[in-house]
Amino acid sequence: MSNLSDFSSQLSPKMKMADAINQYHSLLTVLPRLGIPLGFGEKSIGQLCAEHRVSEPLFMLISRVYCQDDYFPTANELQQCPMADILQYLVSSHKDYLENKLPHIEHHLNILLEPMDKKYSTLISNFYAEFRKEMEKHFQYEEEVIFPYLRQILSEQEATESATYQKNTFHQQHDDIEDTLNDLSNLLLKYIPAEVSPAERVDMLLDMYALSNDIAKHAMMENRILVPYIQLLESKRHD
Amino acid sequence: MTKIAIAESSSMLRIGLEQLLRELPDAEVVFSTDNLNALYSRINALHPDILIVNPLLFDYTKRATIRAEFDQLPNLRIIGLITAYIESQHQRQFAGIIELNDDFQRIKSTLNQVSNTLQTDNEDPDTAPLSDREKDVLICLSKGLKNNEIADQLNISVHTVITHRKNIVRKTGIKSVAALTVYAILNNLIEEKDII
Repeated sequence: MSNLSDFSSQLSPKMKMADAINQYHSLLTVLPRLGIPLGFGEKSIGQLCAEHRVSEPLFMLISRVYCQDDYFPTANELQQCPMADILQYLVSSHKDYLENKLPHIEHHLNILLEPMDKKYSTLISNFYAEFRKEMEKHFQYEEEVIFPYLRQILSEQEATESATYQKNTFHQQHDDIEDTLNDLSNLLLKYIPAEVSPAERVDMLLDMYALSNDIAKHAMMENRILVPYIQLLESKRHD
Repeated sequence: MTKIAIAESSSMLRIGLEQLLRELPDAEVVFSTDNLNALYSRINALHPDILIVNPLLFDYTKRATIRAEFDQLPNLRIIGLITAYIESQHQRQFAGIIELNDDFQRIKSTLNQVSNTLQTDNEDPDTAPLSDREKDVLICLSKGLKNNEIADQLNISVHTVITHRKNIVRKTGIKSVAALTVYAILNNLIEEKDII
């Protein structure tokens, strides 16, 4: 843990983007969602944020969630970040999962299942399809129910639903998605016979672990940033 | 230190036995109870090495399969505490027998014999494959049965079903029933047509 907090003290807008990414590879998935392309030479985080019109506090917030497992933002750090930017990042993460990450995994899965007995391969692809549906449903719920509710609080209109209820649903659904992904990787890792597509299987598992890690961070963004943010806004409104 | 649990409905007997065992330097009574509900819940939490239990606590229909009630704890040794006539075939499931008029010497040697078998087979339950009973529970789960239905079908308590389920999840690393069903089919425990 100690080197992580060292990192967070040096992680600043002045840090070179390349250094940050070389140290924390998982940040690599964050950049395209914010519209920051690679090939940035020696530029710092701050320079790149300015160049691509990304809120600097938002970038720092996301990076800390990705790099520091025990990170909880302070109220101050939260307030520096426009909620609209956070929501936009979350929505583009959803899009990234559905349009890039999942199709990539599916591609491996299809090759992997190809040589298997049909009755087993159908079973696994059905399980995967269910998982995908579950994820789509969850994202849809957030984008159609929760995020509009947040925008409503932001614009200080009268809110219609209780946020406490939504907070619990939030947690539960994230746990479910992570559990299902974990179940699937265990099935592929442990119970598919050794001779079935060994190389493809390693690729697929690496992809799945990366996705699982990313979804865990995504969940942290929502549980540790969005939920406290809602509470902050709601408490202000009641004052 | 051997951890011992006692389940006996007579408090006179229970407290008396506890008192006797206290004199043994390498044994410790972790709990004692007069009823099955407390037994089931505490045994899973406290993991005694030896259970001394009066078979009369169990319903007559279950008396032959007391060992099977604790299948989820493969390392648990069970000693029957015999206070009334119990058919000898029912006595055979126990690792040892303590009778009402055994003297302390005799009780000590029974306990010693039983605890000696403890050290010899210390399998790691985490790396062990699913036991036959766990497989039975898994098959029922895949067929869509609920805990109480599984308990009825396998003639075990709901507590035991839950413990089996925990062990299945711990060993396989798989939590959801849907994925466990895939597991069951991949391992040829059930046919696809058996699933509803």
